[in-house]
Amino acid sequence: MSVTVARVEPSIASVGDYIELMKPRVMSLVVFTALVGLAVAPGHIHPVIAFAALLCITVGAGAAGALNMWFDADIDGRMARTAGRPIPRGRIAPGEAAGFGLTLAAFSVVTLGLLINVLAAALLAFTIFFYVVIYTVWLKRSTPQNIVIGGAAGALPPMIGWAAATGSLAIEPALLFLIIFFWTPPHFWALSLYRSEDYARAGIPMLPVVSGEETTRRQILNYTLILTPLGVAPWLLGYAGPVYGLTALAIGAAMIALAVRVRRERGGYRASKQLFGFSILYLFLLFAMLLIDRVSGGLLGHFAA
Amino acid sequence: MMIANQTMNELRQKPPNELPPHKSPPLAGQGDEETGIKLTAEQLRARRARSIAIALALGAFVLMIFAVTIVRLGSRTDTGPDYMRPVQTNQ
Repeated sequence: MSVTVARVEPSIASVGDYIELMKPRVMSLVVFTALVGLAVAPGHIHPVIAFAALLCITVGAGAAGALNMWFDADIDGRMARTAGRPIPRGRIAPGEAAGFGLTLAAFSVVTLGLLINVLAAALLAFTIFFYVVIYTVWLKRSTPQNIVIGGAAGALPPMIGWAAATGSLAIEPALLFLIIFFWTPPHFWALSLYRSEDYARAGIPMLPVVSGEETTRRQILNYTLILTPLGVAPWLLGYAGPVYGLTALAIGAAMIALAVRVRRERGGYRASKQLFGFSILYLFLLFAMLLIDRVSGGLLGHFAA
Repeated sequence: MMIANQTMNELRQKPPNELPPHKSPPLAGQGDEETGIKLTAEQLRARRARSIAIALALGAFVLMIFAVTIVRLGSRTDTGPDYMRPVQTNQ
């Protein structure tokens, strides 16, 4: 009796390839928004416990990124933006990526549950499931509303941070969830406008590919008009001081101005690129001001008043 | 089954010096020309770097568990078992 064993080439993947597999840029946004959710929560959390919670959330986000790259390796190879990722480039085998992602997902959720609390762990598990199964496997290849619904996964980290600090949920973290949820469509559709050929080649039904540029530009403006009041809401509802409120108003107005320019733009993508870049700054400033406002204990508000 | 039994009987009948010579499995990076895989210098370097990264990650994980355990225990000394409560002195 003879047994045939498939020859497996030894891996040449470096540590950097595995870090790239975890989508470090997405992870940095997740860490930051989760940190804000954790910091603005009422009560006191020991810095060691807070660090452990953030580490678990970060690793969980990295696991979701790795599983996303494993499933999307075929379409990643067909798009210029993603062709250089470790799996299409042949640096990491798909099975290695899947094993890496599943191991990290299990470790991060179980550790968060054991060290912090079950609610935060359940939310992290739901986030990974939503991003990998609902968004990556199902929505991304089947509907132009993929990033609208799938955006919920990226919006959950502040809620996980809040849950880690308090063991419960409230309106304030839900508001942070809504801000990121309504920020995602203008952010990604601005990118997809000037990358629509890439998406079409890969067969991904992004809004510009399915419904055309005109509809996408209109939808970008619509979502920005919903986003801006939501960005100011923490101040209006008394969760943040006037410095936060004024900043949210100013950068919200800039977002609307750019979205209007995108709406009016014809035969070019300059405004789309500007909106994509500014949207990252918008979310960063909004959450940074919330963090500063809370950490400074409202001092900034007293100076501004 | 018959063939397997026959092969086993033949092997048992052969004196030890006629059995195929024992070969140790190849050491890391050396490979075996017939069955093993010889790692290139790049593959060896990458494997070593991955091994160090896994060791560091495991070390960090252990440290984190230790630190959280200390913090958790520290916050419960007043409600924990008798041996963990501060000693009360009567003056």
